[in-house]
Amino acid sequence: MAQESTEIARGLRRRDPDLLDRLIEQYQHRLLRYLVYLTGRRELAEDLFQETWIRVLERGHQFNDKYAFSTWLFAVARNLAIDAMRRKQPSSLDGLMNNHDDDDAPFDVPATAHASAFDLTLQREQGEHIAAGMQHLPAEYREALVLRFQEGMSLEEIATVARVPLGTVKSRIYRGLSALEPWLRGAPL
Amino acid sequence: MKPTNNDAHERARQLIALAGPEAVSADQLSSNAWLAAHLQGCASCRAFAANSVDAIHALRAIPIAAGRALVSTTQLRVRHRALELQRQRERLWLVAVCCVAVALSALVSTFVLWRGFAWIAARTHLASSVWQVAFLVFCVMPTLITAMLLLAKDNQLPPYTDYRG
Repeated sequence: MAQESTEIARGLRRRDPDLLDRLIEQYQHRLLRYLVYLTGRRELAEDLFQETWIRVLERGHQFNDKYAFSTWLFAVARNLAIDAMRRKQPSSLDGLMNNHDDDDAPFDVPATAHASAFDLTLQREQGEHIAAGMQHLPAEYREALVLRFQEGMSLEEIATVARVPLGTVKSRIYRGLSALEPWLRGAPL
Repeated sequence: MKPTNNDAHERARQLIALAGPEAVSADQLSSNAWLAAHLQGCASCRAFAANSVDAIHALRAIPIAAGRALVSTTQLRVRHRALELQRQRERLWLVAVCCVAVALSALVSTFVLWRGFAWIAARTHLASSVWQVAFLVFCVMPTLITAMLLLAKDNQLPPYTDYRG
């Protein structure tokens, strides 16, 4: 991992466009997923996706290869998301909360292949409930859950991305998961 | 102080939440005897564990993928910006080279002029203080003339009038 980070850092300092092409391909789904969960809006997430890579190009020399590239990438994306929301309303991540009034559902839940019809229905139903529950969670809980369980980041890495103490990360994950519980039990969509 | 029953539930739930589905897997439970014992005797925490596992699996099953168009547009924009930055850097490099050239030529011309003034003074038997003052005036003359011209231009401007008259 350290070797990979060093190579990425070297390439970013050179502003190597081929390296950036490769990184965009490699992290496309993870970054977009993080931004969609963070903002709760697909359109905004796609704009921020592009802005994030431009920022990576411009500030690539600031990447410290002692961290994983994904940690730095998510931190850059997070800062841009906060800036975008500040332009709309003068608050930080709070501005990303309570956006479930939007009509468009950003978390589309298509059925997965290789499962029985019953499993698919159940899975889809659970997915819909969780997706709906996620939209009702405060952004910082959503962020912690996504980084932990979808991105598989360590608690320390999440603390680095979110710039909060480790204890706060733990409590956000615990509270986020607890808050999702009613939705799994079938809270109304 | 012995932990209260509520603390025990809280601790168990935090362990489950922080470790995810792995916390309630057989392997993990065998390494965490306390959690295993607690889950055996506590139905609500068992339900929390089961719900957490389901929630995490459901969360992982939600596929959000970037479209091909988004990726290629981003790559195009990044390449375009990289080109812009490269051009900017080249321009900056050119400006830096020009600055160095101007500084060097200023240094060389000052030296040549100094020697020229000294030579003229030697030929015309002028006192060194005189030609040195003349040299100084010659050097600051362009600045003085420019300043005077600017001042004169300012004086010719019509007097400021408030828009309300």
